[in-house]
Amino acid sequence: MSDNSEKSIDLNKNTCPNREQRANGTNVYYGKASKLLKDAKKGNLKCSERKFQQSGGCVLNFYLSVRVPTIRDAVTIFNSPVGCSSSALGYRELFRGIPVELGRPAQYNLNWITTNLSEDDVVFGASEKLKGTILEAERRYSPKAIFILASCTSGIIGEDIEGAINNLQPKIKAKIVPVHCEGVRSRLVQTGYDAFWHGVLKYVVEEPKKKQEDLINIASMLSYTWQDRLEIERLLGKVGLRANFVPEFATVDQLEVLSEAALTAPICPTYTDYLSRGLEKEYGVPYFLYPSPTGIKNTDEWLRQIGKFTNKEDEVEDLIREEHKIWKPKMEAIQDKLIQLGKNGEKIRILGSLGQGRLVNQLPFFDELGLQTPAAMSQDFDDLLVDQLDDIINKHGDFDIMVNTFQAAEQANITTNLDPDLTLTCPFQGGTWERDNNVTRIHSLRGDPDPWSMQTGYGGAVAFGNFLIQAFKNRSYNKTLSEKTPKSYNDWWYEQSDPLYYIEKE
Amino acid sequence: MTEENYLSDDLSKDSLEAPRFSCSLAGAYGTTLGLRDAVPILHSGAGCGIGQLFGTLYAGGQGAGGNEGGTSTPCSCLVEDHVIFGGETKLRNLIQSTIEVFNANFFVVISGCVPSLIGDDVNSIVGEFKNKVPIIHINAPGFKGNSYEGYELFFEAIADQLLTEKPLKKKLVNIFGVVPYNHVFWKGELSTVKKLLSSIGIEANIIFTEQDGLANIDRIPSAEYNVVLSTWNGHRAVKKLKKKFKTPFISFPNVPIGAKQTATFLRTVGDKLGVDLDIIEDVIKREESWTYRYMEYPGDAIILVRPNSYFAVVSDSNTAIGITKFLTNELGYLPDIVEITDNPPEEYHEKIRNEILDNLDAAFEPEIIFENDTYNIRKNLEDRPFQFLFSSSLEAPTSMEDFGALHISVSFPVYNKSVLVHNYAGYDGGLSLIEDLVGTFVGPL
Repeated sequence: MSDNSEKSIDLNKNTCPNREQRANGTNVYYGKASKLLKDAKKGNLKCSERKFQQSGGCVLNFYLSVRVPTIRDAVTIFNSPVGCSSSALGYRELFRGIPVELGRPAQYNLNWITTNLSEDDVVFGASEKLKGTILEAERRYSPKAIFILASCTSGIIGEDIEGAINNLQPKIKAKIVPVHCEGVRSRLVQTGYDAFWHGVLKYVVEEPKKKQEDLINIASMLSYTWQDRLEIERLLGKVGLRANFVPEFATVDQLEVLSEAALTAPICPTYTDYLSRGLEKEYGVPYFLYPSPTGIKNTDEWLRQIGKFTNKEDEVEDLIREEHKIWKPKMEAIQDKLIQLGKNGEKIRILGSLGQGRLVNQLPFFDELGLQTPAAMSQDFDDLLVDQLDDIINKHGDFDIMVNTFQAAEQANITTNLDPDLTLTCPFQGGTWERDNNVTRIHSLRGDPDPWSMQTGYGGAVAFGNFLIQAFKNRSYNKTLSEKTPKSYNDWWYEQSDPLYYIEKE
Repeated sequence: MTEENYLSDDLSKDSLEAPRFSCSLAGAYGTTLGLRDAVPILHSGAGCGIGQLFGTLYAGGQGAGGNEGGTSTPCSCLVEDHVIFGGETKLRNLIQSTIEVFNANFFVVISGCVPSLIGDDVNSIVGEFKNKVPIIHINAPGFKGNSYEGYELFFEAIADQLLTEKPLKKKLVNIFGVVPYNHVFWKGELSTVKKLLSSIGIEANIIFTEQDGLANIDRIPSAEYNVVLSTWNGHRAVKKLKKKFKTPFISFPNVPIGAKQTATFLRTVGDKLGVDLDIIEDVIKREESWTYRYMEYPGDAIILVRPNSYFAVVSDSNTAIGITKFLTNELGYLPDIVEITDNPPEEYHEKIRNEILDNLDAAFEPEIIFENDTYNIRKNLEDRPFQFLFSSSLEAPTSMEDFGALHISVSFPVYNKSVLVHNYAGYDGGLSLIEDLVGTFVGPL
């Protein structure tokens, strides 16, 4: 655990520091992981400007806009022009595909409202409009919490959200929770996670009424499916523990009792970081950040950590033994198949990653599967994960790492130049998945109820291993489209070897 | 609005619960992506492209962004530094590098909220590139209006910054009023309209979906007429073109759905363009012959299971007019309520209302409401007799439990359909609508 365990959490402030300040985050890097680690340890990471840049997401519109409105018994208010919330329009459908038989509540309502800031509001201010919207949210739904998401526009015109709500809170039953996710505030979308947790810690979490010794907080995000939740519940259930999955599709009650849990465990360390540290600082809830339950070894270790904090070490060892009997043979079969798929006895080369959290969890998993990773890509990187990266380099040796904030052209360049046997893509990258080699997705989506899409725990390790094998069985979609449609970029871009060609060098 | 409501009743400026549109940047962005081989360049915060990937492109019938959309879209990704020092240098570098990197021939710079608030002089930056490549600037801050406004801004920018006089080409028309992504069947509708007009000897420039969008745009001034398929979308564009190039326009209230509306459409346009009446009537006769034979096939299912059913339409104006009239005038269905969700300017409300009611073959009138707020939209649907709900996919999962109605997704946002060629335009389109409708209830008879 890092010595600076609070990492600048101060709930007296309106919001968190940016990741740039809190954790020395960077938006760009390409080179050896060992050098990145060295720079991070020295505090030398910093952001750079790109001369060519693509829309990789902002503090609001990468994660929060789509996910905060899935909190039940709440209303989300976007204090923004009308376009900042359109990404949330899928809210009513997002979890509906999950059968009630799998534990999805039959009845629930999700709600969001935009203040729809107009030219007049920009000129004259919009605090009355925000107040009216809060009152209307209360009238319509009597929610337990009202989340207010700030935007570039509300920030630049200097809207005083705290001023507006302090005045209103005494008249309102719902907890009003401002979230400072102004898009322009930071180059690192992860600042949005921290900004959200800051609001939750400051305004929603309650003083513990009792300690729930069997409750484990798990902050699940974006890319974990309903089946992953079931797998985690299954495993924890076997040792008498329960999972408190927050924040997506959680109730406000679940957020309130975060302080009562025995432990906060990670699925994605970088996402969970601020919450974990905040709960420890404010309420003494212990946490660990590494590893996450991706792959069999990581899952073993994840369970052991949980066992340590809950005094269930023996039960956990029994569980691991039992589970290995079921899953290890299946994993060995996958390993054999992947070896057969490699050419000339060489390991299959696989390229892909997403958040830095996935980076540190997935590399050991790929290793376990018998795959080699010529490089890893990460959206951004900061010093919250130095210990983990250190550990990975020690165990697996040095490797190339690219930090690139969702830059499609940079990913297209590196994918072309490294030409891995399998590319794992988060499929937002335009035509870059159109290539004459194997391609599949890097992660599945939360509304997906199919066990086939599981990726967490033991079941997920095997399901995802089999999923990867499927990617080698037919490449006609990407191959056909790569032949039949024009390339995104001019030839020179693919032919030159520097994915960071357009970085402004100082 | 009741007095206990805390919001004003100004439809365009109110706070809104889950409105069924995005902002003007989104509209200009979606419209640009509707062109082939054109690259939008967003001068905005970093989330505007990915936000509209979810909130315009996926929402418009699950369209991925393609080579130029979503996270592939060049973007100046403005942050606090630029708010303080200006974003002009960043934009200049971005345009230069985009021209170098992207495999495209037309560049559309779209300014969002941030440059507008910090006062960047975007026009002069874009001006530096005008002699190098075809490039335009659309000033479309999100607080200026909704997606449909963005469509108008796109064409205003085209007319002001790009188009030049061209020799007139007889029997060539441009098609306006179908807004890419926001009219979720845009791709199929445009190509159907093109085929329909071609059948009576008229060439339609549908601008979008076809190769080399820039060439299509360049020839806009050579059209004999502009045809606008909406009571309000595209009207600013065609008026501007009339002023600038003296191109007259023909206004039709919607993309025609089914045989009756299509016949009227062909006669209206054909008449203006001097097409021989016999040619038009021959086409109509031939098409109606097979269309109405096809409409007999679902006859038993409709008559035995859901005849003379009440229906509700909650959609953009174009879709509302087309579907309400088709189901009422060709299928014997009963229009219970129509809610218009695309926020047409007040001055068009009467026109839209009249177009829905004009020649409507029912013994009563549907209630017609203009409403943008999803809470109010849903309240208006409570305790009504309708058995079918034609709306966005927002209502899809709970239409039966909330309203006792079978649901068909026809209007933005539509997340639960992959819309490629599917559409309700023309002769085939009316039949497709019947397929979608009957498919919700039919089983072994």
